[in-house]
Amino acid sequence: MFYCRVVGESQERLTTHTIDFPYTRTLGPVFSEFLTGMRDGKLVGIKGRDGKVICPPTEWDPETGDALGNDFVEVGPGGVVTTWAWVTEPTPKHPLDKPFAFALIQLDGADTGLMHAVDAGSIDKMSTGMRVTARWKDDRIGHITDVTFVPEAG
Amino acid sequence: MSSQPAAVIGIGQTKHKKRRDDVSLPGLVREAAQRALDDAELTWKDIDAVVLGKAPDPFEGVMMPELSMADALGANGKPMMRVHTAGSVGGSTALVATHLVQTGVHDRVLTVAYEKQAEGNAQWGLAGGRSGGMGAGGIFAPWMRSYIKQSGAPEDIGWKVAVKDRLNACKNPYAHLQLKDITIEAVKESPVIWDPIHFHESCPSSDGAVAMVLTNEKGAKKAPRKPAWVLATAMRSELGVFPGRNNVRPQAGVECAHMIYDQAGITNPREQIDMAELYVPFSWYEPMWLEGHDIAGPGEGWQMVADGSTEIDGSFPVNASGGVLSTNPIGASGMIRFAEAALQVRGEAGEHQVKDAHVALAQAYGGSAQYFAMWLVGDELDAVAKKK
Repeated sequence: MFYCRVVGESQERLTTHTIDFPYTRTLGPVFSEFLTGMRDGKLVGIKGRDGKVICPPTEWDPETGDALGNDFVEVGPGGVVTTWAWVTEPTPKHPLDKPFAFALIQLDGADTGLMHAVDAGSIDKMSTGMRVTARWKDDRIGHITDVTFVPEAG
Repeated sequence: MSSQPAAVIGIGQTKHKKRRDDVSLPGLVREAAQRALDDAELTWKDIDAVVLGKAPDPFEGVMMPELSMADALGANGKPMMRVHTAGSVGGSTALVATHLVQTGVHDRVLTVAYEKQAEGNAQWGLAGGRSGGMGAGGIFAPWMRSYIKQSGAPEDIGWKVAVKDRLNACKNPYAHLQLKDITIEAVKESPVIWDPIHFHESCPSSDGAVAMVLTNEKGAKKAPRKPAWVLATAMRSELGVFPGRNNVRPQAGVECAHMIYDQAGITNPREQIDMAELYVPFSWYEPMWLEGHDIAGPGEGWQMVADGSTEIDGSFPVNASGGVLSTNPIGASGMIRFAEAALQVRGEAGEHQVKDAHVALAQAYGGSAQYFAMWLVGDELDAVAKKK
């Protein structure tokens, strides 16, 4: 937002000018599958060359750099927290508007961690090794915020 | 400077387009890199280091993409670096890769450059938003006017360059614009966007990537296809604004060219070089660089355009590929010049092949015409000597 003030006249004049500059992002075949899965309420990983399941999926094998085929695997919805950090004061950009944990979650069937938000209610409920499960929004749009995680019941 | 020869043994580029909706940003870069590897019949394991170049990050809004692209470029566990010299970056990136081979630091280096301009707004990216959108055309237009005034060139020279490059692009399947019906009339009647530049005298905005594999003499001997030998390399820069600067013929550009000629033993560039790929984003820059790099004498650049010398079948073809006027993924544009020069001396340019191209010059410039990068390539290490 720019403000322009004309001085030296009897009346101050003010004008506003908002520059709108959106970026777009093309996803390619792999991230498209992952985010389309989000929209459909599914968590999607991909099989690496060594058979390990990578989630979120990568376009190329992290070890060899080889192209990965369309070997997608559905993972989750449950998983294990392998490490976490508590966010005491969420900002407007955070996925939740109350204190939560950012956690690395190894989803069932995956060999790598997905970083996401865990809505545990309080820091006392968080622990490494705890189980969490996906909580889907009703109005999903194919965005990473279509899902958050909550401690598994029981 | 160089302790050992370097050669291009693999070249790959994407089909350049207004928008590549089908690939991610790393996917675009990977496509060119994979094609360069395939051309060299090498695998990702064979590459020792990766050198990446692109124009300023605000173009796509992806900051420091060299970090996130390591996996796409098979660079895990390998040296990877990013080069940054504005519009000339494609050229300087290729030169950094070349120097890594010439100095014996690495045996096989992959060099890649790209821009995916449809993901942002290049005009804003160029200016960082501060100029209010003057853009490159707005900066260069008065200097082109100065050239016209100083040289007495007739108005139609710019139009001729625009038509020539677009018709050359129709012979290049990778070129973005394919305007087979373009005419002098169409260029002349297109709207003036920055006087003296009409719409058809300006480069497009493209999504695209280009890659090359460079290696030493030993690697070149094992290559499946003819190598393009790097005969000379040079980079020069100067301030974009200072009192008394010659904006039409920047001193850095003059010195960069002479550094190339001196290294390669060239005394008469117009005779001893068979063709050139020059960074011409606006039509008038063709005669300006012909003079600015002492290929033509003062006031003679436009005459080379007028008499058809720079046509693909002329005595000194310029931008047989269609040039930046036909394809402009900014960060890649400089390296496309370098790769196209290499393709020419390998004799692999297909329909836009220049006849008897043994020695080819490639040039890229950037910023306010303040960064210059050039290389001279040949079909033999002694290609220049053989021409005498």
